[in-house]
Amino acid sequence: MTRRVTVSWIVSLSAWWGVVCLGLLLMWPRLLLAESRSWKYLSELSEEERRDIDLRTDTPRDTTLPYLPAEPYPFTPPYTAEEMGFRSMEFPHIARWNFTMIEDFGSVMPTGYLSTGKTIVLSIYPEPEGLIGYFNSKPGEVYTRWLSQDTYPPENLGNQMLMLQHRTDQTATTKTDMFAYSPVLRRVRRFPQPRRQDRFPDNPMTFDDFLGRDAWEFTWRIIGTDVLSETVRFPKTRPTITLMTGDGTLKDTPVQSLKMMGDEYPYYTPEGGVPCYVVEAKAKPDWLSNYYAPRIIYWLDQHYFYPLRTEQYGADGELVAMETRLAALYNPDLKERGYHNVITIWWNAQLDFLAYGVHDGHRRRQWSEKDKDTYFNPDFMRRVWFPIPMKTQATVRVPEDFFLRPHLYRDKFPEERKIIIAPEVEARVQAQDAAGHLVFTETLANGQPGQ
Amino acid sequence: MRKKYVCGPRRAPFGSPGNARVWWAWWSVVVLSVVPLWRPVPCHGGMLGDEWSRVDRALSIFDPAGTYVSQPIEKAIPALSFKGFFRQWSDINLHRNQKVGFRNKDFRFLQLQNLLEIELHYQFTDNLELTNINHFLYDGVYNWQDAGGLFAPRVSKTARYYHNFERIVQEFFLSYRTHSFDIAIGKQQVAWGKMDGQFIDIINPMDRRESVQLEASDYEYRRIPTWMANATYFFGGNSLQLLYIPNFEQDRLPVPGSPWFPPSVPPSDAIINKRKRPSAGDFGDHEYGARLDISMDPLTWGLIYFYAWNDNPDFFITGHDTADGTVRPILTPRHTRLHHLGVTADYAAALSGVPFIGDLPFVLRVEGLLSTNVKFADARRQVAALSGGDTNGFVDRDTLRAAVAVEFALPENTTFIVQPSLFTTFGWRKRLVSSGFGGATAGNEWNLLPVVFIERPFRFTRDRLRASVTVFPFLGSPGQHYEGTKTKLVVSYKFSRFITGRLIYTTYDGGGRNSTFGQYDKWDNVGWELSYEF
Repeated sequence: MTRRVTVSWIVSLSAWWGVVCLGLLLMWPRLLLAESRSWKYLSELSEEERRDIDLRTDTPRDTTLPYLPAEPYPFTPPYTAEEMGFRSMEFPHIARWNFTMIEDFGSVMPTGYLSTGKTIVLSIYPEPEGLIGYFNSKPGEVYTRWLSQDTYPPENLGNQMLMLQHRTDQTATTKTDMFAYSPVLRRVRRFPQPRRQDRFPDNPMTFDDFLGRDAWEFTWRIIGTDVLSETVRFPKTRPTITLMTGDGTLKDTPVQSLKMMGDEYPYYTPEGGVPCYVVEAKAKPDWLSNYYAPRIIYWLDQHYFYPLRTEQYGADGELVAMETRLAALYNPDLKERGYHNVITIWWNAQLDFLAYGVHDGHRRRQWSEKDKDTYFNPDFMRRVWFPIPMKTQATVRVPEDFFLRPHLYRDKFPEERKIIIAPEVEARVQAQDAAGHLVFTETLANGQPGQ
Repeated sequence: MRKKYVCGPRRAPFGSPGNARVWWAWWSVVVLSVVPLWRPVPCHGGMLGDEWSRVDRALSIFDPAGTYVSQPIEKAIPALSFKGFFRQWSDINLHRNQKVGFRNKDFRFLQLQNLLEIELHYQFTDNLELTNINHFLYDGVYNWQDAGGLFAPRVSKTARYYHNFERIVQEFFLSYRTHSFDIAIGKQQVAWGKMDGQFIDIINPMDRRESVQLEASDYEYRRIPTWMANATYFFGGNSLQLLYIPNFEQDRLPVPGSPWFPPSVPPSDAIINKRKRPSAGDFGDHEYGARLDISMDPLTWGLIYFYAWNDNPDFFITGHDTADGTVRPILTPRHTRLHHLGVTADYAAALSGVPFIGDLPFVLRVEGLLSTNVKFADARRQVAALSGGDTNGFVDRDTLRAAVAVEFALPENTTFIVQPSLFTTFGWRKRLVSSGFGGATAGNEWNLLPVVFIERPFRFTRDRLRASVTVFPFLGSPGQHYEGTKTKLVVSYKFSRFITGRLIYTTYDGGGRNSTFGQYDKWDNVGWELSYEF
């Protein structure tokens, strides 16, 4: 049987085609955008993408410490947002194992005023290493000791600080016992512990940024996922950075060869990105009343929960500060929990105050009983003895070679991130992005051509 | 008497009490305390434009001595570490030239000091090191102003510049260390104690040319190192230090004709014999010290003992002269032996739920020193001595100097310290007419200095600008109830990692003309310090 093709049939077919084509034409940019978006809200994730996520918020609690989940650490998939938060506690600024390193740090002001320093750090940590050592300590107990010995600039040479870190909870709130030695005073002085929101001298990094935060002080929520393609940003004026290699030699390393999670990390996307969960931590009022950063958003890598990017929001909901990191596997014995930051960037968006810290020459140590008794006591500092002399050349020598401010990523999670920064700071950000290095002139910051 | 100032009289604010400066100093303390309680206003970017930006950038990496001296030397001799600083201090008196007490104050510059320090460390092995620190000081006050009242270099060359080995070679010692043992032999300085001020910091004498304006931050450069053997044994978190000091050095007080020589001291017609000083060649004249430090978290504490000489001689009456018809005492300055027993402790904690602040971390420090056999001039015995009696005019007393300091960490990196310090003479009686080591001032049984200090950095400068106020009220009883108040306002600015500048305004108010601070009523001054470290 043959069907007769009528004119009306052709007209109606053409009309349908027109509608379909018009629809496709209108939808195409959105489809393209969705495909090119590196981030997704939780609601947009597929079943497959949700496989390792546990959306429960009222999981069973530990019988002795109710602020811990009942499931034994380090947990198994699927992970709740809270468990992701606990896993990220594994990676504070100072590693949770026994080590020595030299930290090269510095900050730059919008004028280009550069300040840098170098300090040797010795750390003693209880067995077992890692976060479990912290959990095993009793609240109020000293669980780790850090001795820092400044070697640069000249005015700081010989300055030393011993920090005794306490395991804290809701009742035992003292985080640090702090002793310092200054060659000018020739005395070991005890200092009150800094307030958690106080910044380090000449630095946007706060005391809590430095020590890390306890996950149980926050409520956790998964916002979505993202693929980060860059965290620490080198200026185009600095093609290499000198880092200490495993054998102790100093080597110029091309900055392009540095990967966000180091060479051993197996989960890079084909483009070199790191898939992350984006989670929100909100300060619990009964633990942290009037906390200076009541809301924090973390980008945690999806496999080890390493915080590659952190954004802090103030009481008014606006962005206050950012931290980005470049990490590597330093402690293979701890496997996925043995990652540690090589380079960290802190940026206070309100002050436009930018800083970096490079953990160079990081070496795991087995301290002898003699070492433990000798180096990690306040009295040791007045001996002005540098038992593990180290050098670093990772420093930023001129302001123009300073690291760039982190990406703002204004397009990502717009409903969750309120990024309002002053026009002059915005202008400087745009100028830096265009130039590929920091731009310090006020003229440019005001939107006119600078040098 | 109303003061007259170089810059014209200052007007006291309406309704302020008589002593307006002290009042304003207290206001400064209050303002610096309260300001941090407000939420800070964000400050965006630089404010002085491109030119300042260029200067600031260039200054932040300006280090010629480091680049062209230290680094090449260290590169050529890897075992040597080389560092140093150049510091310029200047203080300008704010009062017109006039006669004050027994002095003709016809000078404005109180100091124009330039100090170059060169510090060398040579590492022979991991354990053995040689340290050498040299000071080259020149004070321009005697050359750069025309003042008849300044003639100190005629009394002591050191007032103008360091000219001998003793003062130029500040430290020179060999040290050897193992895990549990340190020994350092040579010329060195040792600072004991945990708190500001000198309580158990008694090992080295001090160059006190700045008298009441000598600050704890200057002790490092003003201490006079001595030759000694210094051994410390470390066990656990504790340590035991032993000192053996064969070489005695005395304090250097402001010499007559120097800017800070006290105006309350009358000219004397006494005949003064040569000072007798303890001899390095006499084993019985050597000094010995011991210090034990114990760490018992959260408390650390320590005990010290020092068998020492008094760093300042007592002027014993050893006769009198009546050659020209008047009785002139013959005085023999002599150092006397003292036993010092001291204690030091500190404790850290935090107050919670403090209104407006929340948690308030603090540290408590305590320090005390009991000194025995301190000599005090006794009026009755002085008369007897002048009459040829069998006495030298002095009696022995024990003294105690002690302090309690509480340091609070306020919001915005603000530090607030309250430190009441007590100086007391045991067995005091009215006829004690002099002061003595560790005791109260002449005429007083005790003195109390409730020192208050507050310091904060300024956020809009990213902490480069800091301001501090220190108020030292000086009280006493039963003689001089109020010895005046010293107030110091300091503003410091960090030009770079290498260069720091400070502006300092110091006033002396209240008290009588013979009192500790009161006698310097016309010594209010403004000064600056510029320091370059390399």
